[in-house]
Amino acid sequence: MTEQQVYTRSCRIELDSFEGPLDLLLYLIRRDEIDIYDIPVAHVADQYLKYIREASELDLDIASEYLVMAATLTKMKSKSLLPTHRFDGEDDVDPGAELRRQLILYRTFRDIAEELQRSEETWTEIYTSPGERDRWSGDSNEIEPGQASLLDLLKALNSLSEEEPEIPSQRIQRTLLTISECISTLEKEIVPGRTIPFRSIIGPKPARSRIVSYFITLLELIRRGWVCCHQAYPFSEIEIQRTERWSVDS
Amino acid sequence: MILDRLAREVEALIFASEKPLSIQQLCECTGSGEDSIHQALDRLNKAFLDQQHALTIIDVAGGFRIATDSEFGGVVSQLFEGRKPGKLSRAALETMAVVAYSQPCTRMAIESIRGVNCDSAIRTLLERNMIRISGRMETPGRPLLYSTTQAFLEYFGLSNLDHLPRFDEVGELLGMSSSEMEERDLFGSDKE
Repeated sequence: MTEQQVYTRSCRIELDSFEGPLDLLLYLIRRDEIDIYDIPVAHVADQYLKYIREASELDLDIASEYLVMAATLTKMKSKSLLPTHRFDGEDDVDPGAELRRQLILYRTFRDIAEELQRSEETWTEIYTSPGERDRWSGDSNEIEPGQASLLDLLKALNSLSEEEPEIPSQRIQRTLLTISECISTLEKEIVPGRTIPFRSIIGPKPARSRIVSYFITLLELIRRGWVCCHQAYPFSEIEIQRTERWSVDS
Repeated sequence: MILDRLAREVEALIFASEKPLSIQQLCECTGSGEDSIHQALDRLNKAFLDQQHALTIIDVAGGFRIATDSEFGGVVSQLFEGRKPGKLSRAALETMAVVAYSQPCTRMAIESIRGVNCDSAIRTLLERNMIRISGRMETPGRPLLYSTTQAFLEYFGLSNLDHLPRFDEVGELLGMSSSEMEERDLFGSDKE
């Protein structure tokens, strides 16, 4: 296989289809027909890095685990290229040995996972009495006292919050006070020739909306020039007096 | 073929039991020895086969239970539509395999073998009741330890953990150092 062929072929395979860096390494090793007990570190490191680079060019999200492996391989490659000084009494540690161990272990478990998948395939078609299905319904899964795990408690809590209790609904009436309504009320309240305090208009313990409505109405009346107001100092009582224009305009 | 009294007692017991019946329980209830129970089970299964029943008695998760033939999986599954959970992902299966062979084990141990983060796979397996938290390791940080459950054995049709594929070999492999692994080629380097 030429370099170019390898390139185009590997490009088509997405990183998503691998279960991590070890899986990708095993794929590269099998693709290049490399003996797992005699891994040419430099070659494998190059191939791996090339793959990761292509993936990043394709804007694929590369999980940090892949980058850690890339760094490890690069380190191993540079070590294999440098001349080694061996001191007496120092063990000659093969940098490839640990990687090999990881690869063999991972490959074993990957094979077992495949076997488990075949069992799953078979056993999913088999129904027993009483069977696993008791658990599918969820709540029938009774737990003996003292056997509940943290997960069971969390599940129980979750199921509680899922069961939305019916909140008794309450209709809240919003009393709408229009400005024109307020004006007609004020017409009776503010009699000509008398000074009326704002507090007496809104009454005792007024709702906030009532205060606002009447205050806006008051501003509207001032704009029209129907009333004139007087306030001695900030936050003090507002005294309202009717002007002659009220009767003329309305 | 007419079944004898003991075989029919065994059949009745397994059918009526809420949990899979162990051989000991069958012995107790019938007052017979293990050998005669095993023979009775064989006679029952032969009868099921001869009369072309859709059932067999199987030995799973440490007990006996009546099971339907896989041939009828499609028909029976209609009863449980929407309730039956989906199949496990590759990540979950790999994580499952590691836990099964090296239990009790920590998340770190699983991740060092798989080389990737296993948080979501562990969560899935916990939710599916395939693994459980079986304690904490007495090392700094006291990490949680995970073990397999009864449901795991049932799901994969295993009668017990010894029946996992290549159980002893993998156990040995897990205990090996990198140099020891060098010397022994357990699975053949041409497998890949």
